[in-house]
Amino acid sequence: MISTGINGLDEMLGSGIPEGSRVLYSLEPGVDAQLFMISTLSCALAKKRSCLVVLPNTTVDAFRNDVQRMYGERPDLALAPVTFFDSVDWERIQKSSKSPEGRARELQARIRKLCREQDVDVIFVYFDLLNEEFGTDAATAIFTSVQEMEREKKITLIIEHLNLEGLQLLDHVIRDLKFDLVLAIRSSFRPFPQFNYFTLAHISWANLPSRSVPFIIGEGRVIPYIPRIVVTGPASSGKSTFVLNAADDGHSVDRKAQEGGMTTVALDFGWIRWKDFDITLYGTPGQERFDSLLPSYLGHAMGALLIIDATNADQLPRARLLVEMIARRRIPFAVAINKCDLPGTLDPGLIRRTLAIGDKIPIYQISATRKSDVNFVLESLVDSITQFRF
Amino acid sequence: MYTYKSGIAQIDEVSGGFDAGTNILILAPPMSAADQLAYALTKPVPGEYAIVLSTNERAAEVIDAFKVAGADKRFTGVIDAITKSSTPGITDTARLMFVSSPTDLTGIGIKFSNMIETIFEGNFADGETGLFPPPIRFCVNSISTLLMYRRLEVLYQFLHVLTAKLKKIEGVGVYILNNESFDEKTLSLIKQLMTCVIEVKIEQNVNMMRIRGIPGVSGEWMKFSVSKGQVTILP
Repeated sequence: MISTGINGLDEMLGSGIPEGSRVLYSLEPGVDAQLFMISTLSCALAKKRSCLVVLPNTTVDAFRNDVQRMYGERPDLALAPVTFFDSVDWERIQKSSKSPEGRARELQARIRKLCREQDVDVIFVYFDLLNEEFGTDAATAIFTSVQEMEREKKITLIIEHLNLEGLQLLDHVIRDLKFDLVLAIRSSFRPFPQFNYFTLAHISWANLPSRSVPFIIGEGRVIPYIPRIVVTGPASSGKSTFVLNAADDGHSVDRKAQEGGMTTVALDFGWIRWKDFDITLYGTPGQERFDSLLPSYLGHAMGALLIIDATNADQLPRARLLVEMIARRRIPFAVAINKCDLPGTLDPGLIRRTLAIGDKIPIYQISATRKSDVNFVLESLVDSITQFRF
Repeated sequence: MYTYKSGIAQIDEVSGGFDAGTNILILAPPMSAADQLAYALTKPVPGEYAIVLSTNERAAEVIDAFKVAGADKRFTGVIDAITKSSTPGITDTARLMFVSSPTDLTGIGIKFSNMIETIFEGNFADGETGLFPPPIRFCVNSISTLLMYRRLEVLYQFLHVLTAKLKKIEGVGVYILNNESFDEKTLSLIKQLMTCVIEVKIEQNVNMMRIRGIPGVSGEWMKFSVSKGQVTILP
């Protein structure tokens, strides 16, 4: 397996990319996602794989420099021997052959020769100019034919392409060109302003649903990122406990209430790095007087969790009101029935009926004081968020 | 919605300027005052920002031209597609970003997004901030150069994305195209992406322009000159 360099992505793929695969990183214009290719290259080199990088649009020096400037020193890339085919080589071929067919033949011969001489395991191709020169099918065939000629070697092909044709190109690559992994990297303005995300559009070796995962670029790496999950519910249902138990770095704003006990007076905040995801949790205060603020908290949320107290039936009308507010946002949503370790808990079926929520909304019986319960709910919610079509 | 002053009385007095989201194509022959006109239209007024995608001159030259035009360089950014081919080690800053060559549409798209993000985050102008949401004027100082390196269909798709993004952020775009080097099909395809076309020609050593696509503005040829970033319509 070849690691993508992004743990969260590797996990979804079943520990990486199988040898001999055809992979497309499809970049929407303007999305800063060149690190996907760089990370995979860096990981392949770290595993001592022999790599050929085909970059017809730039020189080796400019490429190395870009990688270092944009993503920091990558020792694997700096020190390991990499075979390059760059813009100087490409210009030479353009000059020597008049016809596109001749240029394609010459390029294919050159790639095959390099693969044999350098015993190449993985070919990384910056595809734009070749796609323009030969068309998608012929340009792809230059490399897939080398894969087939050297079948025993199981050469992996990884292509980065600026996709100006959208879904049409992805469909063609999946259906007709038999790619094994197609990752579409895009940006969106909803529900969170200007966020980038990647979609697993196709995987040949696993039967997985299409997933879309937001990400940020930080510390020289791609970080799957869920910028906001709102944790809400009636007062004293256990929201602050949930957020604090979930978070690596959390902050509660609970104060002593006039009626005794503790109450949240502003937003609880929790930051989690979980399974390579960066997630921020916002726990809302439960009192009705804060309800006017709830739509703005939910405004850019990517998911919501409603927490209710399993021992307190009086909370259900209030919980139903909150369900209606969340449902208006059309975001992934789950219900956690808290305090299930205490006696006298309500029946989950009764809760589902009273809150008028359909079967597709999951209900979990938990104790927010148990970290394993909290993690299970988060895992399920993140799973729903990555499968949701925003 | 924000309105961008053009600095041309014939436009500003009739329509108040360019509406946010306007994309303007300047069709001009070589050796005309098209560059100066484009820079005059892109020059940021106080509170605004400008980004130039330079495909035919170095960032330093663009900044000099804007300084001469009276622009505040702290509010002017350049995506330079020229310098890096000869100086691979050159480093990006908030206002000067470099791509390897005009063929590198991936890099151009990323630097464009990054620069806009920097403006929105308030990290563009040495601690100074303009209006918010930031009004951004964007200029491609030659589509002709891009067309020399990339096929028309590819460039059309790329510009389609770029102009759409500019509309989304409510900016204004100015694009120069040499109308003597390309056929009618090329010109009409690029025109499809634009809201307004300014044609430039030279007659008896005098620059003339005609504006199309702005309601209420005359489509007649007008003599003009550009000096220090100011467009003057001559009698």
